[in-house]
Amino acid sequence: MPEIPIIMPQLGESIAEATIIRLNVAQGDTVQADQEVIEVETNKATMDVTTLCAGTVREILVEEGVSYPVGTVLGFLDVTEEEAERTGMLVHAEDSSGKREGAGEEARPHFATPEGGAREPRKVEPSIRGLTVPAGMKGAHYLSPRMKARMDELGLRAADISAIVGSGAGGRVTVTDLEKFLEYVEEWPHSQASPMRLSVADSMRRSSTRPLASVGRPVCLDALLDYRRSLEPKPPLTIFLLRAFGKALAEEPATAGYLIGEHIVHPRAFDLGVAVQVEDGVLVPVLRKVDTRTVEELMEEYLDLVRKARERRVPEENIGGGIATVTNFGTFGLVWGTPIPLPSETLILGIGAGVKKPVWSEKEQGFVPKTEADLILTFDHRVVDGGGAGMLLTRLADLLQKPEKL
Amino acid sequence: MITARTLESKLASLYKAGKIVGGVYIGPGQEAISASLGSCLTWGHDVFAALIRDQGGRTAFGEPMLDATRSYLGSVKGLSRGRDGNIHRGDPKAGLPAMISHLGAMISVVSGMLLARRLQGKLEGVVGAASVGDGATSTGAFHEGLNVAAVEKLPLVLLLANNQFAYSTPTERQFACANLVDRAIGYGVEGHEVDGTDLLASLKVISEAVERAREGGGPQLVVANLLRLSGHGEHDDASYVPEALKNSPLGRDCMTVGENQLLEAGMITTDELASWKSEAAEEVQAAVATAQQEPSPDPYQDDWRVFSSPELSEHH
Amino acid sequence: MGEVTYIDAIREAQHDVLQDDERVFIYGQDVGNFGGAFKATKGLKELFPDRVLDSPISEDAMIGMAVGAAIEGMRPIIEMQFADFSSVAFNQIVNQAATHFFRTGVPIPITVRLPSGGTPGSGPFHSQMMESIYAYYPGLVIVTPATVADAYWMLVDSIALDDPVLYCEHKFLYRWLKADSMKGDDRLPIGQARIVRAGKHATVVAYSAMVHEALRAADSLSEEGWEIEVVDLRSVKPLDTDTVIASVARTGRLLAVGEAFPWGGVTAEVVSRVASEGFHLLDAPPQRLNARDTPVPYHPNLWEAHRPTLESISAAIRNLLRL
Repeated sequence: MPEIPIIMPQLGESIAEATIIRLNVAQGDTVQADQEVIEVETNKATMDVTTLCAGTVREILVEEGVSYPVGTVLGFLDVTEEEAERTGMLVHAEDSSGKREGAGEEARPHFATPEGGAREPRKVEPSIRGLTVPAGMKGAHYLSPRMKARMDELGLRAADISAIVGSGAGGRVTVTDLEKFLEYVEEWPHSQASPMRLSVADSMRRSSTRPLASVGRPVCLDALLDYRRSLEPKPPLTIFLLRAFGKALAEEPATAGYLIGEHIVHPRAFDLGVAVQVEDGVLVPVLRKVDTRTVEELMEEYLDLVRKARERRVPEENIGGGIATVTNFGTFGLVWGTPIPLPSETLILGIGAGVKKPVWSEKEQGFVPKTEADLILTFDHRVVDGGGAGMLLTRLADLLQKPEKL
Repeated sequence: MITARTLESKLASLYKAGKIVGGVYIGPGQEAISASLGSCLTWGHDVFAALIRDQGGRTAFGEPMLDATRSYLGSVKGLSRGRDGNIHRGDPKAGLPAMISHLGAMISVVSGMLLARRLQGKLEGVVGAASVGDGATSTGAFHEGLNVAAVEKLPLVLLLANNQFAYSTPTERQFACANLVDRAIGYGVEGHEVDGTDLLASLKVISEAVERAREGGGPQLVVANLLRLSGHGEHDDASYVPEALKNSPLGRDCMTVGENQLLEAGMITTDELASWKSEAAEEVQAAVATAQQEPSPDPYQDDWRVFSSPELSEHH
Repeated sequence: MGEVTYIDAIREAQHDVLQDDERVFIYGQDVGNFGGAFKATKGLKELFPDRVLDSPISEDAMIGMAVGAAIEGMRPIIEMQFADFSSVAFNQIVNQAATHFFRTGVPIPITVRLPSGGTPGSGPFHSQMMESIYAYYPGLVIVTPATVADAYWMLVDSIALDDPVLYCEHKFLYRWLKADSMKGDDRLPIGQARIVRAGKHATVVAYSAMVHEALRAADSLSEEGWEIEVVDLRSVKPLDTDTVIASVARTGRLLAVGEAFPWGGVTAEVVSRVASEGFHLLDAPPQRLNARDTPVPYHPNLWEAHRPTLESISAAIRNLLRL
């Protein structure tokens, strides 16, 4: 036998509960449809709860004087099948077409029926369109706009906070992480960095966004040193290196190419820079078209540029536009290093200090003294591979054996 | 009248049994005037902007009872598919515009429907009726709507049920004129007054007003005096209505008055009356049972379209 | 520039639809023999005496009448004498017309013409922009033509649409804006924005009269080497998010300019959509520029400083380019 509930109705738009004033029926009582069986009171009015069907009170679940929320089942009626059918309280299962047998009149709405009939139920989808937003990105390399803004305010760059282990989502460095870090380093001694230092820092930061690799090999300098001694005035060793580098690159220009997206941008001219140590930094004046000029032709400009660079007065026409740089760190007594190319260049060639070494000579059948230095080439590995870099160095070493041709 | 009273009693009962979400607004005491108006109008030909106490008029006009039960019980087969409920239902293309809650707002809509018929050359013999209560007379929309109808000399019948209360506000806090029918002069329309508890008088006055409008007499304002015999809605026990008023002639139940009138005039017998009532009860029960068993609106099936033009619905 | 004005286009569009479609009629204050407060219906009463009707000063009833007539299959054009006065009809617009199709399945093809926006000396009640407030309500189409050809075609298209349209015509453009041809050669459907000037440094999204101010600002900045893209929304609802986002994708920067009051509204909606859907495209926080948060002042000196102008838009763009 169907069981029909007696429900606490919604007695007004803002009513959440009502108090039972009087139960007009008890278990076992026979009731009619629409009979007022329970009197309730809200803070607005006194009302009667009615029955949906005729039947017998099976049970009453509530007490007088107590408040119950809207929708509470107050009791149950036992109702005959016929009565439940008559009052529409028996809900029939629908068939797959959504139509029910004997469902009475069809609807006559003005709405157009969607083509193809009722659609499949959809899931609720968030209304996000377009590309995924960076908020979904993970990892310490991601800086949120808030984080970027705070860093801009403090004049910080991503590299400056490399020491911080992020505690945010996906290991992000958060503003709180940053503030803690700054508090931590606050007590350490510090001084103001010079503009030159900051300029080099910026340049190196940008440069190191690329995968850089270094290779090296020794080169015999005796032929070069002998030739140089025969000249007056004596050209600095670096000019020979510049000249040889220019020649070698002109033979394999792709080696100095610059990768942008899917394109290799080739050098328009073989303009090479030379690193000059100045106070608290490095300047790189550029000599133009080194591949077409001899050591002799380059010498005057080279000496002039080095002098001006040390005075920090590099002429406008010698700034920028180079495709590679030469650095002679041998002058500091160093024999090896891994120089970093400028952000706008793919290659940098370094040379260490010459060292006299015993070298086995087949011809002499004994060790002979030779002056050797290490040539180091650092390159953007996206553009050049170890093999290509090695060939370039070998070619350079060969060219340096015939300095009179440079 | 009998059908309306029976249906509304059932709806009130369903509300108190927790089966109807939202409000139930019924019109006991107003069936005489409402049904009189509805019976003077033809479904699909005339226009009737029913208000919240017009089940009598809706039924007499020809609104299928299922429209009411589907709307109240939230069937997806209702005219509004569950998007709007209860007395907001309408079948505008059949001449029954769907009311909004803002009082007086439907008067100009009916006038617009009539104006359209005039422009289309189809106004001949057509009447548009709108129901309002005393509360609506205080709105700007009432004034604008009636004035426009008068200016255009449209065949509008404005049935004003002066039922003494707008929710709980009595008429002395609603208007200061001696008699609302006096306003007809101000608008340049014909005014009529009737005892809304008197079925035969209501039928006579209202049908005459409808005929005047149909003949080209311009807008007709019919003020019917009576008492609302229920709360504003079924959530309201109307405890603010004084006993004296309930016991006054205004407080008569038009159903009882009407039954007695018809019996005394020998127009019906008690047996006929009884059989009408049992037929009405069966019809109501069937309409309720049908709507009750129909599916509720499914938010995943509704297309949620707010524009008729499909190309606009693609945007957001 | 030619001799066809923006208001000529509005008048001509109404003439053409009255001629082509028996269902169309015009209802509004002084629209009959007087030809309308701005002469937008000049001469139409003589040509279509039954379908150009003077209404009483009853904005609420005008829209109610239009809704009723639309139910009966007509396509009324309602002329509000000033957009500002549509506040009297607010209920009928947002509750009656806007909800009708959703509630009943019966569409309401009405076009409400709203003479909008400021002109010198018009003051608080003859200068308002109402598009933002109506755009808030579901079920209303809001168009804001900024060119002579758009004034023509968008009115024709609005009337042809089965849904209620608020056609916001800018009074300042009525006679100031001239073109060689009324119909142009670049008709776009309602709901589609137009890139009126291509650029790469920043996107300015504008509509109605502000399109012209934005173009002037873009011209002046081009002398400094800035290339500013200007998007004319054309309709603020539906809002063509795709075109706006695509433009921001090219420029990375957004300034949304509106003549309406600043709280919420169209520019806020544009910024909100770009921020939520195009966050990854932005180089700078998206900016808005609106009128001041005061009533529209009467005196031209105050009025010029109340609404966005060439100067304030240029300043806002410069600021945006620095962010």
